[in-house]
Amino acid sequence: MILVLKRILYLFLLCPILLQAQENFTLSGTIADNQSNETLIGVNVIISEQQTGTVTNEYGFYSITLPAGTHNIQISYLGFKTISETLILNGNLTKNYKLNENTESLDEVVITDNIERLNIKKPQMSVNSLSIKTIKNMPVVLGEVDVIKSITLLPGVTNAGEGSSGFNVRGGAADQNLILLDEATIFNSSHLFGFFSVFNPDAIKDIKLYKGGIPSKYGGRISSVLDIYQKEGNSKSFHMNGGIGLISSRLLAEGPIKKDKGSFLIGGRSSYAHLFLPLFDLDNIAYFYDINTKLSYNINDNNNIYLSGYFGRDVFKFSDTFENTFGNSVVNFRWNHLYSDKIFSNLSLIYSDYYYGLKLDFVGFDWVSGIKNVNLKYDFKHYISNDFKLEYGLNSMYYKFNPGDIQPINDDSGINPYKLIDKYAFENAIYIDAEHKISDKLSVSYGARLSMFHRLGQDELNVYENYSPLIFNETFGIYEKADPIGTETFSKSDVIESFANLEPRLAIAYQLNDKSSVKASYNRMSQYLHLLSNTSSPTPLDVWSPSGKYIKPQLLDQVAIGYFRTFNNNAYSLEVESFYKTIKNRIDYIDGADLIANDAIEQVILNGEGRAYGLEVLFKKNEGKFTGWVAYTLSKSEQRTPGRTAIETGINNGQWYNTPYDKTHDISITGSYELNKKWSFSSNFVFQTGQPTTYPNGQYQYNNITIPNYEARNSSRLTSYHRLDLAVNYNPNPESTKNFKGEWVFGLYNVYNRKNAASISFSENRNSGTNEATRLSIFGVVPSFSYNFKF
Amino acid sequence: MKRLLYISLILILFTNCEDVIDVDLNTAEPRLVIEASINYFKGTTGNEQSIKLTLSAPFFDETVPPANGATIQVSNTSGNTFNFIETDNTGIYNNSTFIPTIDEVYTLTIDYEGETYTATETLTAVVPIDYIEQNNEGGFSGDDIELKAYYTDPAEIDNYYLFEFISDIPVVPDLNVNDDTFTDGNQIFGFYTEEDLESGDIVTIRNYGISNQFYNFMYILLQQGGDSGGGPFQTQPATVRGNCVNTTNPDNYPYGYFRLSEVDEVIYTVE
Repeated sequence: MILVLKRILYLFLLCPILLQAQENFTLSGTIADNQSNETLIGVNVIISEQQTGTVTNEYGFYSITLPAGTHNIQISYLGFKTISETLILNGNLTKNYKLNENTESLDEVVITDNIERLNIKKPQMSVNSLSIKTIKNMPVVLGEVDVIKSITLLPGVTNAGEGSSGFNVRGGAADQNLILLDEATIFNSSHLFGFFSVFNPDAIKDIKLYKGGIPSKYGGRISSVLDIYQKEGNSKSFHMNGGIGLISSRLLAEGPIKKDKGSFLIGGRSSYAHLFLPLFDLDNIAYFYDINTKLSYNINDNNNIYLSGYFGRDVFKFSDTFENTFGNSVVNFRWNHLYSDKIFSNLSLIYSDYYYGLKLDFVGFDWVSGIKNVNLKYDFKHYISNDFKLEYGLNSMYYKFNPGDIQPINDDSGINPYKLIDKYAFENAIYIDAEHKISDKLSVSYGARLSMFHRLGQDELNVYENYSPLIFNETFGIYEKADPIGTETFSKSDVIESFANLEPRLAIAYQLNDKSSVKASYNRMSQYLHLLSNTSSPTPLDVWSPSGKYIKPQLLDQVAIGYFRTFNNNAYSLEVESFYKTIKNRIDYIDGADLIANDAIEQVILNGEGRAYGLEVLFKKNEGKFTGWVAYTLSKSEQRTPGRTAIETGINNGQWYNTPYDKTHDISITGSYELNKKWSFSSNFVFQTGQPTTYPNGQYQYNNITIPNYEARNSSRLTSYHRLDLAVNYNPNPESTKNFKGEWVFGLYNVYNRKNAASISFSENRNSGTNEATRLSIFGVVPSFSYNFKF
Repeated sequence: MKRLLYISLILILFTNCEDVIDVDLNTAEPRLVIEASINYFKGTTGNEQSIKLTLSAPFFDETVPPANGATIQVSNTSGNTFNFIETDNTGIYNNSTFIPTIDEVYTLTIDYEGETYTATETLTAVVPIDYIEQNNEGGFSGDDIELKAYYTDPAEIDNYYLFEFISDIPVVPDLNVNDDTFTDGNQIFGFYTEEDLESGDIVTIRNYGISNQFYNFMYILLQQGGDSGGGPFQTQPATVRGNCVNTTNPDNYPYGYFRLSEVDEVIYTVE
C-alpha cells in the first residue's frame, strides 16, 4: 500500500519540479507568540514584490519557495505587531519568528490577517474558523463559554435545540460530524446531556469547521469536520488563568519544563454539585469535570513531540437509587518531523475510550457500555513549490465496541448477567490531496481518499433466512423481527465483511478580481460507524455500531458553489454558498424499535436515504471597534425509507419526510463592540424556523388511558425559535502593569424571556384526565456572571 | 426495564419548565377502537366478560363516542361461540357464559357499520404475585412511597407481563409491560411509585399474562401515550397497529387489541 502511495507521489511530484528552471531557495520555519512560545495557526507570510505568500499550518509551520535575491518579508497576525524585514536569500533558510502582542490602541486601524479571515484565493470553501478569543466574547447561557454553541451561530450549523447534544451541519445528523481534539476523535461532545460541550475553552487555541469541500485528509464522517487544536503551553514562564462562574470553575496552569524547549499545560474544569438541579437536602449529585493536559517538547528545529490527554466525566447520582457516569478519555502522542524544509510530517498515535455506566439500585442493575479506539495517523504536507503543495498520508484505526454489559449488583437482584456481543472493526485509509495554483486567477485542489473498513469476527452473529432480519407483516402493515435461523461465531482475526470506497475530492477557485472569487467543490465521503438513536437528539445512552453484514456504510456526495468577496481591504467580507448533498444508506428505525440493550439491531432497522440542499450567506465585519457577522441559511433536509419490495410500506409510507433538524430559515447575528479598554459589549440574535415534529390528529381510549394518534412523521413544526443575548465585559484595570489581570463578564441569555419550545408533548393530565398539549421550554431569561483571571 | 432508562433520563432533565399551551390540530376520520380484553382472574370462573367499542375522536375532545349497534362473537377451537350483547347504547358488550381455557386460541368477529373486523389470540397464563414490598424512601426525591409486586418468572420460556396499578388518587392507571430478557427464571417485581400516595390509600395491583405480540403493541402504545411522551429524547411517534384486521376494507383498520389474559389481583392498603 505504501509503495503504491509512493508511486503516485512521484508522479505528482516530478511534474511541477521539472518546470522549475530558475534557482530557487526555500524559506521555512515556525511562527510563535513571543510571550509564551505558543505556535500560531494561520499567520500570514507575505512577500509583496513577488506577489506571493503563505500561511502557517496547524503546528505553526510555514514553507515558501523564492528566487535567490533580496526580499521584503511581512509577518502579520491579528492582535500582534507585524514584522517587516529584508532577507537575502542565497540558500535554503530556516527562520523562526516570534510575534509580540499588539498593545496599541484599537482606534488605529490595524490591517492584519488571522485565521478567521476570508481567503478568496484558496480553493478551500465551506470552512469557518473561529479563534478562541471570538468564542470567548460571545454571550452564552449561564456564562459558560462553549465551542459547540458558538459554531451554531455560523451559517449551515444548527442544533436540535437547547439541552440537546451535538450539532447539525447542512442538514446532516449529529453523528455525521467528525470532532477532532488534537487529531483525536471525540465520540460524545457534550456534558449534562448537551447543555455544555466537553471542550475547556482555556485550553483551546483555534477551531476550524469544514462543512463542504472537505480535504481528503479527513474521513470517516460525512457531514462535517470540527478540528480543534489545544494550546501547547507557555515554554517561557509559568502562568495560570482561570474563571469562576455560576455553573463551573476553571483553572489552567502552564509553564516551561525546560525554558524555550519544553512546556506543560494542565487545565481542569468542574461544575458545582447540587447547583444545577434544585434538589437540596438530599444525596443527589449532578456534576461534570474535565482535565486537559499537554506536554510539548521542541527537540530541535526539525523535531517536536507532544503528549496530550483529555479526561472528562459526567456524574449523576440520585439518592441511592440511580447512578450514571459517562465521558471520554483520550491519550495522544504526536511527533512533528521535518524531513526537509519542504516536507512537514506529523505522526499521531491516539487511544480513545468512551465509557457509559448506569447503575439502578432499586432494580439491582448495573450497565456498562463503550467504545475503545486505537488510531494511527501519519500526515505529510509537502511544499513542492509555491504553486503546488501536496498533502498525503495514512490512517489506521482499530475499534472495540461494547454495546452493553449488564450485571446484577447484589445477590437479591432479580437481574441475570447479560453480555451483549462485543464487536470489532478495523478502518484504514490512504489519501492524497494537491493544492495547485494553475494561474494567477485559477487554483484547484484535487485528491482522493481510499477508505477501507473491515468488520472483524465476533461471537454469535445471527443468521437469517434469505439474509432478511426483519419481515413485513402484510396483514397489519407493520415490520416485525425475523427469528434468526442460527448463529455463526468467528474469530476476532477473521474479516466477516469488507467495504472499500474511493472518495474523490475536488475544489476550484477562480479569482474574478482582487476582491472577489467564485469557488466550487465536490466531495464524496463514507461513514462506517452509525450512532443508533431514534430520538430527536442523541443521548449518552446511544451506542455506536459498525457497518457489517446488515448495516451498510453511509455514502455522501456533496457539491457546493460559492461567491466570495472582500470589501474595503478585507474590513468586510461576504460569502454566499449553495450546496446540494445526497446520502445513501442512512439507517432508519421501524416503529417501536427498541435500541437499548438490543443485540440484533438489524431486526429493527431499514436502509434509507437522505438529501439536503440550501443557500448560506455570511457577511462579516472584521475590523474596528465593532466586529461581528450576520449569517443566514435557507435549507431543506429530508430522508426517505422506501419498502424493500412493492408491497412493503417502508417508513412513513416510503415518502420523503423532514429530518428533525430541518430548519427552513436560520438567522444568526452576532456582534461585539469595544467601547474602550475597560468596557466591551457583545450580543447575539438567533431566529430559526421551528423544528419539525409530529402532532396527533386524534385520540382514542384503550385500557382507560388516552392514546394520541399521530400524523405522518415530522409533518408539523414547533413554533419559531428566537432569542436575544447580551454580555458585558468589564476589565477594571486595563492599564495595570501588574502581572495579575482580572475581568468580569456579565451576561443575559434570552433577554426578552421567550419561551422557546424544545418540544410539545400531547398527553392526558394524570390528575384531571383531560388532554393537554404541554410545551417544554428549557431556558427563560438567564442572568449570569463570571470572573476570569490570569497571572 | 428499558423504558425505565429513558424515563430516568427525562426525569433528570426536566423538573418544572413546562406549561400547557393551545395548539391547532388536524382531525382524522374516526376509526373503530376495539378494547376486547378478556380477563380471567385467578380463582374465578371467568364467565362474565365484556368488550368495549369506541370511536377515535379529535384530540382535545373531553370524551370519545361509543360505537353502538355492533354484533360481536368470540369463538374457540372447540366450536363454542360466545355472543357479546350491547347494554343500552353504552358501547359495552357483555357475555356471561364465557369459558376461559389457558392456552386456548380464540377468534373475535365484529360486524360494525357493514364492515367485518377479526382477530385471533391465545389466552395466556400468568404466575401469581408472591408478595408486596413497600418502601417509604423511594423515588428520585427520596421520600415517595414505592411499591414492588414480586412474582417468580418461569425459567427457560419467554414470558411477558402487563402490570396495572390502580390507586384511588390519580385518574389515570399506571401500566407497565415487562419481558424476561434480563430476568429469566428470577423473582422480580412490577414497580409503582406515586408522589401523592399516602398511608391508607388502596392500590389495586394486577398482573396479566400477555403474548409477545401484545407486549410489542403495548410497549409502543405506552411510549405514545401516558405521560412519557415529549422531551428531546422522545422517540418517533407512530401509528400503533394491534391484532385486529378489517377484512372488508383493510385500509379502514381499527385501533385496539383482542387480548386474553389470566390475571392475578392483589388489593393492597398502603401502610
